[in-house]
Amino acid sequence: MAENVLPEKGLSLYRKVRNALLGALTAVAFVLAVTPLLAIIYVAYDRGKAALSLSFLTTLPGGFPVGIEGGIANGIVGSLILIVIASLLSVPVGVWAGLYLWDQSHTPLAKATRLLSDLLLGVPSVIWGVVGFYVFSTNTGYGFHWGFSGLAAGLTLGFIMIPIVTRVTEQALRDVPRSYIEGALALGASRFQVVRGLAIPAAITGIGTGILLGVLNVLGQTAPLIFTNYYNTGIPKNLVGSNGSVGDLAMQIFIYIHEPSKGLHVKAMAAALVLTLIVLLLDMGIRLLAWGSRKYAQRMG
Amino acid sequence: MEPESPAFPVPKIEVKNFSAFYGKTQALHNVDFTIYERKITAMIGPSGCGKSTFLRSLNRMNDFFLDFRVEGSATLDGEEIYGPAVNPVLIRQRVGMVFQKPNPFQKSIFENVAYGLRIQGVKSRSVLSDIVEKSLKAAALWDEVKDRLNGSAFSLSGGQQQRLCIARALAVEPEVILLDEPASALDPISTARIEELMQDLKDRYTIAIVTHNMQQAARVSDRTAFFLDGTLVEVNDTTKIFTNPEDPRTEDYITGRFG
Repeated sequence: MAENVLPEKGLSLYRKVRNALLGALTAVAFVLAVTPLLAIIYVAYDRGKAALSLSFLTTLPGGFPVGIEGGIANGIVGSLILIVIASLLSVPVGVWAGLYLWDQSHTPLAKATRLLSDLLLGVPSVIWGVVGFYVFSTNTGYGFHWGFSGLAAGLTLGFIMIPIVTRVTEQALRDVPRSYIEGALALGASRFQVVRGLAIPAAITGIGTGILLGVLNVLGQTAPLIFTNYYNTGIPKNLVGSNGSVGDLAMQIFIYIHEPSKGLHVKAMAAALVLTLIVLLLDMGIRLLAWGSRKYAQRMG
Repeated sequence: MEPESPAFPVPKIEVKNFSAFYGKTQALHNVDFTIYERKITAMIGPSGCGKSTFLRSLNRMNDFFLDFRVEGSATLDGEEIYGPAVNPVLIRQRVGMVFQKPNPFQKSIFENVAYGLRIQGVKSRSVLSDIVEKSLKAAALWDEVKDRLNGSAFSLSGGQQQRLCIARALAVEPEVILLDEPASALDPISTARIEELMQDLKDRYTIAIVTHNMQQAARVSDRTAFFLDGTLVEVNDTTKIFTNPEDPRTEDYITGRFG
């Protein structure tokens, strides 16, 4: 009979149970993965809400202990300065290195660069910090003598960013379909024309994501700053030497929470909420940008 | 009485004792082969027989495989394609290529066709417009896209995209066009259009096509070459190959005994 040819409809009891069990496990894993983010936002808001206001973002710390009055403008400005310095170093170097790894992927130098990048990605940030201290900050170090300063910290953070930008750039270029590249080469395009006119535009959102990942990493670093910059309650006039330190959101939270002052703890958690929201907004921004440019490319080219 | 087609075909690409290697693997063994001007030459053979490697060797598209190397001679109008002073970019401007899967750029229809000219430094909008129109007409795509030249190339169907890629190749005025299984990803109607197009183009271009489809080779080509295991088994007029092949292996293949 024809109906006997087909397997029996429906699932066996064993498969039903297994489906339900694995489904439940997936749900639990999902909840566990998402809970920390909600917890961070909730705790930061709950502990810091008393300090939140618009002026919190726009005023400098004041009162005694310092910070009990005023806001985190020093931290916002300082973090911005550090991001700019770190990006000025790491974006050109990292993108260029990523381009090199993609184009010359099998040369010994490329293999060595890739290996070293991966090793650098794993170096603990406190080590970056102390090495940055010896190289850039201290007078008994290796010649820069910049003291605790924005430049010393910015460059240290920039060096942390380079391998991130490098590897993400390489990956983004690898994701450009080979047929796309061959199409241009077959028309007599030079390698440089292909890279500039097709490969980089096709990979640009991926490269942008890599830069953002680096920036987010820089935003969250405290250990390197402890040794190369420390902290400033005001807006710095210099980026090297005395009074060359900049404020920084992560450092601000770190310092406030160490003070035996309930008021500062509230400020710290409010700052934590602001920092978390900045990171989330930047992340959503780049996703929106990537999505938008894909739409644009599909429509227009 | 047509001066356009001389009684004796003129060699365009001459290949002598040509071998190709990927690292230690030899993909082509001592191929001797001539592609004549303004003829359609088809290359057939089972998967992995070296026909695509051979085609891609003719405009140095295999240079990008790091361990690829060749031995022997391959000339374009008597000039060594792999000569030490030869710039592969200039070879590719003279020997264009269309690939198996349509690969339009993430650009508008107009910019896809104009790309090859732009990279040569052509900036004049009117020159570009003229050549884009001419190329799209030559690729039998103009009527379908003339009202949406600024639309994305990805909005076209697969068959249209492949004709766009042909137009793109024509725009740089190559002398030879290499087609690497250009219709294998297309439906029968689109395939028929590409085949008609090839007949139109052969008055002006030398065409070499790799195809999996023996009927296609029989329909479109003047000469057919049969490759097997990296060697050229037989090359002759298409009618001769398909009606009275000299080598028993050719006969086995075209009658469907293997491959």
